Amino acid sequence: MKSRRDFLKQLSNAALAVSAAPSFFSKLAFSQSGSVSIPGEDGMIVRSFRFLDLETPVENFNTWLTPVPHFFVRNHMHEPSELDPSQWKLSVGGEVEKPIAFSLAELSKIETHSVVNTLECAGNGRSLYRPQVPGIQWGKGAVGTAKFSGPRLRDVLQRAGVKQTGKHVMFRGLDEVPGKVPAFIRSIPIEKALDADTLIATHMNGAPLTKHHGFPARALVPGWIGAASCKWLTEVKVLDSEFVGNFMSPGYRYPNAPVKPGNAVKAEDTHPLTALSVKSVISGPLDGAVLKPGKVSIHGAAWAGESEIAKVEVSTDGGTSWKQAVLGREQARYAWRLWSYAWQPKAGEYTILSRATDSQGRTQPETAAWNPSGYLYNAIDQVKIHVS
Amino acid sequence: MSHEMNVSRHLPSTLHWLKVRLVQVSGMASVVMVLILRFPICSAGAQSTAATPVAELPPGSMQAKATTACTECHEARIILQQRLSKAAWTKEVDKMVKWGAVVDANDHDALVDYFSANFGVDQPQFQPPRTPEKKSSVQSK
Repeated sequence: MKSRRDFLKQLSNAALAVSAAPSFFSKLAFSQSGSVSIPGEDGMIVRSFRFLDLETPVENFNTWLTPVPHFFVRNHMHEPSELDPSQWKLSVGGEVEKPIAFSLAELSKIETHSVVNTLECAGNGRSLYRPQVPGIQWGKGAVGTAKFSGPRLRDVLQRAGVKQTGKHVMFRGLDEVPGKVPAFIRSIPIEKALDADTLIATHMNGAPLTKHHGFPARALVPGWIGAASCKWLTEVKVLDSEFVGNFMSPGYRYPNAPVKPGNAVKAEDTHPLTALSVKSVISGPLDGAVLKPGKVSIHGAAWAGESEIAKVEVSTDGGTSWKQAVLGREQARYAWRLWSYAWQPKAGEYTILSRATDSQGRTQPETAAWNPSGYLYNAIDQVKIHVS
Repeated sequence: MSHEMNVSRHLPSTLHWLKVRLVQVSGMASVVMVLILRFPICSAGAQSTAATPVAELPPGSMQAKATTACTECHEARIILQQRLSKAAWTKEVDKMVKWGAVVDANDHDALVDYFSANFGVDQPQFQPPRTPEKKSSVQSK
């Protein structure tokens, strides 16, 4: 296996080559719509300004850890308008022996644990489903990888003492709910809550969480859909059953059986979303790129929720033949693997595909399984390029 | 800052909207036209033109009522990016009324028609703006 330095060099060379010859249409689309300044955010796609929903352009997926200014933002509601960290409290109650509350200073005294986690919005790729479904029309970039740090949720729960009746753990954030919109509250099963890698994260990539990412504390439920990792956390409540509310049902549920595209699904035929699917994304060359013949690095990232990436294959002939990509050295249980494939194209038109397989034997499908809310899009990724 | 940039920044929102719609609806001819319109701005050295932080809904008899009903809670861009059938728009409007959107019962069907006409399944994809790129982070990649 090549060294990390070689791998990164290859990625950066390819990124330069691509940026020198961007797609005419992607540039046009960009200039058409102008720019919107949001402090702390760098070159992000603005899906919505209010509520704030920002997507990472895929060309940024060339570092194992995604810098915070490039990390996607998904808000369901308005961010807390006022949040004084000295007044902030995290309450822990419900099915516990002794309800308890922590200040930020008290929370910081509990042993810190770090988890490098690939966080992906359940709706990432929604815009690629046909027929189209309502919701934020994410392209491929509602995903990122960061090192999250903070106390383990189980250490916090143990201080309150979980009763035998405790089966689920509910998170409530401080986001501000407009109108009669149901509050963004969800729960996770007690087994996942007590997992050694489930955190109350206060830090991201070594720095305190920024406001858009849940300052001063957020849940971090590794390997699961982003919606499980509640931001601006203020309440942890142990329940005797799954939380009942809009964002548990009908929100964030997935059909138990395949659905004919466009058909409705009854609530009783669905289950709550938990872990992410196996998936890869090509971060370069970009779709529509015009490249010179010679050395080209096809590269990207691949992840599989709670599972490990076993291999990533690349096709440069539209799926007729497949070659194995080289996986990047950096890895962690819940984190994506960067990958690359060295290619020597001659002049021509090419359809490049990437296909990830995980340690459970799951492989990306040619067509993602359509579902009414457009969750877990994970079709084999594809870019078309021109070499001349 | 160039004169063109100032003009562009102060374009009435409806005109800005029309420019975007022209490109989406009319294909290459309009694309060329917009490119010509934009050229002086590009030559002024601007990274890109500033878009309004919150977008607006398109002109039409329901524009004002839709703006009142929807944008109290969220900006128009959330609507602008949808591409839905009339049946799906009906479900969305009904859901939002349940969640507090104030829509007179007499306006319900006209609102669904307005959304379906402007954001139906056959419309070209909405092109979102971006936040400006920081030069330092581009260099460090």
